[in-house]
Amino acid sequence: MKVKIKQWNGVAVWRWETKQSSQVDDDDDDVCGICRGPFDGCCPDCKTPGDDCSIVIGECKHVFHMHCLFKWIGSDLSKQLVRYYIER
Amino acid sequence: MSNIFLKRLTKELRDMQTNPPSGISVESADDNLNVWKIRLVAAEGTVYEGEVFTLQFKFGNKYPLESPEVCFLLGCVSGTPPMHPHIYSNGHICLSILYDQWSPALTVSAVCLSILSMLSSCGMKESPPDDAAYVKRAGNNPKKTTWAFHDDSV
Repeated sequence: MKVKIKQWNGVAVWRWETKQSSQVDDDDDDVCGICRGPFDGCCPDCKTPGDDCSIVIGECKHVFHMHCLFKWIGSDLSKQLVRYYIER
Repeated sequence: MSNIFLKRLTKELRDMQTNPPSGISVESADDNLNVWKIRLVAAEGTVYEGEVFTLQFKFGNKYPLESPEVCFLLGCVSGTPPMHPHIYSNGHICLSILYDQWSPALTVSAVCLSILSMLSSCGMKESPPDDAAYVKRAGNNPKKTTWAFHDDSV
């Protein structure tokens, strides 16, 4: 049987590559520590995942939605704790 | 009501109901998820063995960016708060993560586990030395108290 390809559509999937998610498939490691939503989704205030709502990875390897982390950094009490998270 | 509040608490509640940590169970949560009651069963082999306590969590609209208001309930089935050097007889708990050491990466279940472990590591039932004076002047909300954290042993 001969097949003649008339047309094709490329499809791709993507995911944020976090160290945690490649190591274990535990549910808890694929979610942002602040909003508990999946990294491959977006933070609770965004509508489209991807570059519009990116993630940040600390040296501690903790991963957060950037928007969630900034909400926390922006709140008064938290600067020391964030430094702790980011530096460790 | 913020998105993050509702999404996160809905998820936390579901997780705690489907997969509760040992000794911890959600007794009730109101429809808006603002107030939860959580039952703590003291671990075997501790000075509180056989005792059951009820914790109340109140979540402000800024949760998880701000800590929940957590205290032991009085006058429920469990009766009184545990007698513990860091737990006042009005139910207030002297535990840094509930106040200035709060982090949004903590969860209801992590807080409950900390409190249970605080009970477990206690060797002798004692009230805080300043219990009477504190209870007399403290308001309802333990977050309004200025806490000094000085003892990591229990």
